[in-house]
Amino acid sequence: MNQPDNSHAELLAQSVSAYVQHGADLPRVRALAQTQLEFDPKQWQELADLGWLGILAPESCGGLGLGLAEVAIVAEGLGRALTPEPYTPVAVLAAAILTPLAGATLPMAILNDLVAGLATPVLAAQEQADDFSAQLVATVATPQTGGIQLDGVKSFVVGAAGASGFLVTAHHEQEPLLCWVPGETQGCHVRLIPLADGRTAGEVRLDHALVSEAHILARGARVRELLDCALDYAQVITAAELLGVLKKTQEMSLEYMKTRIQFGKAIGSFQVLQHRAVDLLIQQELAAAVLAEVIQEMSHTPMSVESRAMAASRAKARCADAALMITRAAIQFHGAIGFTEDCDVGLYVKRAMTLAAYLGNSRAHRQRYARLAAVGHQEAA
Amino acid sequence: MSDWNALSDEAFRAQAREYFEREFPAEYKFLARRMRWAECRDWYQKLSRKGWIAPNWPIEHGGMGLSPTKLLIFYEEIEHAGVGRMPDQGLTMVGPTLIHFGNAAQRAEYLPKIIAGEAVWCQGYSEPNAGSDLASLHTEAVLDGDDFVINGSKIWTSMAHDATHIYVLARTDKQARKRQEGISFLLVDMKTPGITLRTIRNIAGHEEFCQVFFDNVRTPQSNLVGELNQGWTIAKGLLGFERLNIGSPRRPLQAMEKLEALATARGLMADPAFVERLTQLKLDLADHNSLYRRFVDQVRRGESLGPDVSMLKVWSMDTYQRLSELVLEAAGEYGVMTGDVDFDGTAIDVLAPFYNARPGTIYGGSNEIQRNILAKYVLQLPS
Repeated sequence: MNQPDNSHAELLAQSVSAYVQHGADLPRVRALAQTQLEFDPKQWQELADLGWLGILAPESCGGLGLGLAEVAIVAEGLGRALTPEPYTPVAVLAAAILTPLAGATLPMAILNDLVAGLATPVLAAQEQADDFSAQLVATVATPQTGGIQLDGVKSFVVGAAGASGFLVTAHHEQEPLLCWVPGETQGCHVRLIPLADGRTAGEVRLDHALVSEAHILARGARVRELLDCALDYAQVITAAELLGVLKKTQEMSLEYMKTRIQFGKAIGSFQVLQHRAVDLLIQQELAAAVLAEVIQEMSHTPMSVESRAMAASRAKARCADAALMITRAAIQFHGAIGFTEDCDVGLYVKRAMTLAAYLGNSRAHRQRYARLAAVGHQEAA
Repeated sequence: MSDWNALSDEAFRAQAREYFEREFPAEYKFLARRMRWAECRDWYQKLSRKGWIAPNWPIEHGGMGLSPTKLLIFYEEIEHAGVGRMPDQGLTMVGPTLIHFGNAAQRAEYLPKIIAGEAVWCQGYSEPNAGSDLASLHTEAVLDGDDFVINGSKIWTSMAHDATHIYVLARTDKQARKRQEGISFLLVDMKTPGITLRTIRNIAGHEEFCQVFFDNVRTPQSNLVGELNQGWTIAKGLLGFERLNIGSPRRPLQAMEKLEALATARGLMADPAFVERLTQLKLDLADHNSLYRRFVDQVRRGESLGPDVSMLKVWSMDTYQRLSELVLEAAGEYGVMTGDVDFDGTAIDVLAPFYNARPGTIYGGSNEIQRNILAKYVLQLPS
């Protein structure tokens, strides 16, 4: 991971804030459930042109070779703008899996296209609900003439709607494999399941899907290493998106409390509402502090796999809970108008929910934290 | 003088752990109440000789100048070893205030005595009719020759019966337009004639605080900190340090140590419902550390603390209370037994954290007052 570079961070922050000003296309987000346009190639190309898809990717692939701190700035802005495109699934999760592999021809080619906005690879690893580390893999890889045949069903594939292909985990006998399955591969069927925020999660069914031997990107213990690291990154960056969502929502609530008059006074003058807003401010600041610290730790200190996972869980759990609390309270602060489809609050409520659930909700992350803490405790004793 | 920050975190933690466990007197470990000065003087001075008495002070004033991370490690190890809480107003309040607002003569006079344990300070803020509404205080100080003459009374003054000195907010201009104007910040020697004390027992039965009466008490003009009638500014600055101190994770950590020991002794770590609640509190505490570091960093850079530091105090004391309540619940029927309860060889006073946590949401500005401050000055909500 690179050293922090304030000039990069500042430039990014400026371009992110410019994007948030013009890029928050809320009518489009509101209409997603009807239009199913969660992946707009034009919008995606804009992210590519801004250089944001290549923040983690190495310079040899056209990327910036930067780290979590920089990618978090972008993700927070995209959360604020409610951008529906699968930034974290592609530019973080898939990019973090492919980057260590970029010495080889195929991963390098995919990364090149990813950075340019031409390819949108998405990880399809998880098969069972709440197994967000994708440990339980029943998908089978069978050598065939002409390549490897894949059979299995992958679920909770967020970003599948715009995916150009999938990074699929499978087993051949006892050996784990990571394979590249282009979207057009015969026997690769994607079913999109609508989510609360109008986006979708894919179920990817691999039915005798045949890919060439060259599409095996990694095998053995390496697969687990790649997945663990990339999933931790993606959880942290999802936490950054949640931070953008919750900050924006809290701003909307405060603005409303300052202008909405009842009983002849702005409702923000009522102490009971003030104290609620303060408790949410504390959650917001805890979330921001944890996220900043976790990013700092993961970027600059050598960490064991266990402590990295604990750090990621800590960030995801706090940011998810804070976002759910703040967005739900926003409905209450706004009163009946907050319960209408026309009010933007609902869009933030629903995005907070899907991001909170993505890659493990807060309860799941607390459980992982407790499990790893207990292991650490036993080893220390 | 060592540069503790140059050590690795692990090496520093190992040194601190080894030292506190070996050197802190066993009979006072995990004491249920605050230590009296007679009980802790030797320990205070021992820490002082080692150069470890003021972890939060800058090195040039005799402190350790610890980075936020090292400071947290230091506190964690203090609580891990069950080191008792000493009268620490000099270290946490007066020192930082004089470093920030005092003049050179005051720093030279008072800071070394705090470091050496020759002066023990208490805080003369609240009055019988000025609690949360501190600016309504009535104690007055009138200039007479070279001295201020103080009359009035302070209350809820923690450990005043052990103190050699008190810092006092007193009204020096009754004609001031606003209540916050016309207040001055004065330092007073507790041996001055005219000071009397009445001790007050707290809910746990401990003599922890006092009412302090001032009857024509004289203190020299040189003991005025900052400008005349500008004491409110200093009081607010000091409250920032107080909120940082109360907002430090030290007290909740103390309760967490007990909770984990109790849970292990009672076999609760096999109960998933309990582990879920424990983990939530652990994360509340870990995340509190992250927020605390941010403010400690601010102080280290020499910046003043803003009104946002109140959120640390609110969260710290709320977390402390929730932790202490889970201790009682985890103790089950033992949770009403007084004094040390023996859990298969582990002695735990289960009621102590509960009692110690209760005033936390009241002292140093109640949590409700802190929320008012945050609503007004940080969220800028209308009044």
